[in-house]
Amino acid sequence: MGAKTKIISPYFLKVTVGLLVVSVAVSIGFGMARAQPAEVKIGVIYPLSGPVAHAGQMSKDAVSLCVDYINNKWSQLPIPIGNWEGIPGLNGAKIKLIFADHRGEPDRGADLAKKLILDEKVVGICGCYHSSVTKTVSTVCEKHKIPMINPESTSPVLTKRGYKWFFRATPHDRIFVRDFFEFLELLTRGKVPGVGAVPKSDIDEIGACTENTEWGAGTRDVIKEFAKKYGYKIVSDVTYPHESPDLTAEVRRLLTPKPETLMFASYISDAILLTKTMKELKAKANVFWSQDVGFYQPKYIETFGAATQGILNRTVFSKKLFAVKPVARHINEEFKKRAGVDFMGTSARAFTGMQAWAYVLNKAQSTDPEAIRRAAETIEISGKDLIVPWKGIKFENVGGETNQNTWSSGLIVQYQKQEPEIIYPLDAATAKFIYPWPGLK
Amino acid sequence: MEMLLSTLVSALLMGMLFALVALGLAIIFGVMNIVNFAHGEFLMVGMYTAFLTATIFSIEPLLTLPIAAMVGFLLGIASYYMLVRYLLKGPMIAQLLGTFGLMIFLRYLAMCIFGPDYKTLEHGLLIGKSIMWGPVVLSYPRLGTAVLSMLGFGIIYWMMDYTRLGKALKATALDVEAAGYMGIDTEKMRGLAWGLGGATVGIAGALLINFYYVFPTIGILFCMIAFATVALGGFGSIKGAFIAGLIMGMIIDLGGTYLGPQYKFALIYLTFFLVVVIRPKGLFGW
Repeated sequence: MGAKTKIISPYFLKVTVGLLVVSVAVSIGFGMARAQPAEVKIGVIYPLSGPVAHAGQMSKDAVSLCVDYINNKWSQLPIPIGNWEGIPGLNGAKIKLIFADHRGEPDRGADLAKKLILDEKVVGICGCYHSSVTKTVSTVCEKHKIPMINPESTSPVLTKRGYKWFFRATPHDRIFVRDFFEFLELLTRGKVPGVGAVPKSDIDEIGACTENTEWGAGTRDVIKEFAKKYGYKIVSDVTYPHESPDLTAEVRRLLTPKPETLMFASYISDAILLTKTMKELKAKANVFWSQDVGFYQPKYIETFGAATQGILNRTVFSKKLFAVKPVARHINEEFKKRAGVDFMGTSARAFTGMQAWAYVLNKAQSTDPEAIRRAAETIEISGKDLIVPWKGIKFENVGGETNQNTWSSGLIVQYQKQEPEIIYPLDAATAKFIYPWPGLK
Repeated sequence: MEMLLSTLVSALLMGMLFALVALGLAIIFGVMNIVNFAHGEFLMVGMYTAFLTATIFSIEPLLTLPIAAMVGFLLGIASYYMLVRYLLKGPMIAQLLGTFGLMIFLRYLAMCIFGPDYKTLEHGLLIGKSIMWGPVVLSYPRLGTAVLSMLGFGIIYWMMDYTRLGKALKATALDVEAAGYMGIDTEKMRGLAWGLGGATVGIAGALLINFYYVFPTIGILFCMIAFATVALGGFGSIKGAFIAGLIMGMIIDLGGTYLGPQYKFALIYLTFFLVVVIRPKGLFGW
């Protein structure tokens, strides 16, 4: 018995070593196959039902169009993805989007993210429109070490948490609000085309009205911060419950101190109700500015038509950019065919976010989460390839923020005859500024 | 003072809408002791009916009221004869889950038909109009809603107290067996209660579309307030629904204006909680 255990047959040794070599080779082979699959799944979480479903649906249309460009050859498209047939860096692997509907509920968003990561085995997540949902979903991604590229959530807090796996493509509310106060300062100095110098005393009393989720609360803080910094007074500060059946009390509180500048952060359903209520209560002010989203959607213009005249919006996209960005016109034509509406701030960013995903995967040349994260950290996408008027996309850690796209920037547009004319930056302005705000006629 | 007056007026106007939404719930509970969880979806159906009728036939939104009432009535009757009467044979939990299922079914049926998008009416006799009355801004759609809501309550109150049909309904509500012995067709009365409940909330929907948007899940926004209203007024009490609706309007508007919008729903559900604990039968409940 003892003799038997001491003797190892050379033949047995060879077979064992051979099997080991083969198994290692097979494992590596499988690993490579897994790293460069025929299909790459990305989980896309948007509000596809509920009061904000319209925005979610537009975002879904936008990311779907982008993936169509990535997966199939569109030789007429004058940007690199037009020549792709899948991700070149992954041997032409096609992107497959797995959509999930968070209905505007942060806890549901987190559950969906877990499901997408654990059950669907997605390589990453894109979404989620609401900053509140993006917050919970990104926490799940961070925990599971799965990259997330967020195209459109603007709460400043999101990139202040030190997350390594969360990347934000859009400018955030600090940038947008700062731009607005810069614009007001230019207005007082008579630098804005179409209007002479406006006395600061005509615009320095601010009425702020923000919804009460992550995004609205973040905007409110930033408005307060910049109002103080630029020497403006907040005379009414109203926070209201998102999806409220009645906003009369809120509008009354907002308007009673007679603010000269109105500032809003509202989702579309609330924006419609607020505007209707303000119209009924005959709201007056000199400047009306809003944080894109609810006030900058095709549905909003369709609902209020000529009454939108003079309303300012921060955004990242306007059809007026077509003159300087032919690629935006080209892609918008296809988008309109499919979605029935033009690109606006939200949908344009959703498209751009998915484009960022494609470039990152191409650079990573792998579906390994760590490789994707490293690729995202070092990627530089030229603004020439994008439909938004940014320098490009570069995720950087600056000013206490992590993985924020520092090449992004905002616009201020004003509805004029129901078209969003660019007002700021001044060198990109496409129309003269209408001042004062004519009211909701 | 100006703000207080303005707030009071707007609270009363909104309160009458809340009362009208809650009325159907109160009628159904009063006659059958069953809570209709699909009540908010009945409101949604009323809103879509008014929206589609006004849009397709290009008619004044107020003229859609009878159509919305009829659709609501038929929906109520159909819900009773096709679902609720069978649920009544089962345990209490079946009744709860049955109307909950109806809620989900109607909500997602609307989602399939209309999509998740919301619809609004922008043209009509009252839409978007208001008048300054001293310091008070009177919104025409809300004023119109309040007047028609009062009219609706008056008709239902009169019907319940002064017509044979109303008395038969009340008798069924008080003691279904005794009513049956008296020759009242209690089955028909129960169906009628569901029909009336559907019709009143259908009217509320047709009024609401004059100043609100509609989308498939809108029911939940108003349904929660309707439940709190009915609990405050007393399940089954028409007078209670009216008074409680006004109180709800006051809580929302006065609370929202003077304490801050963030407190208004907390105040509503605090009231709901206190009523359930201190006076479970509500202000005018049986």
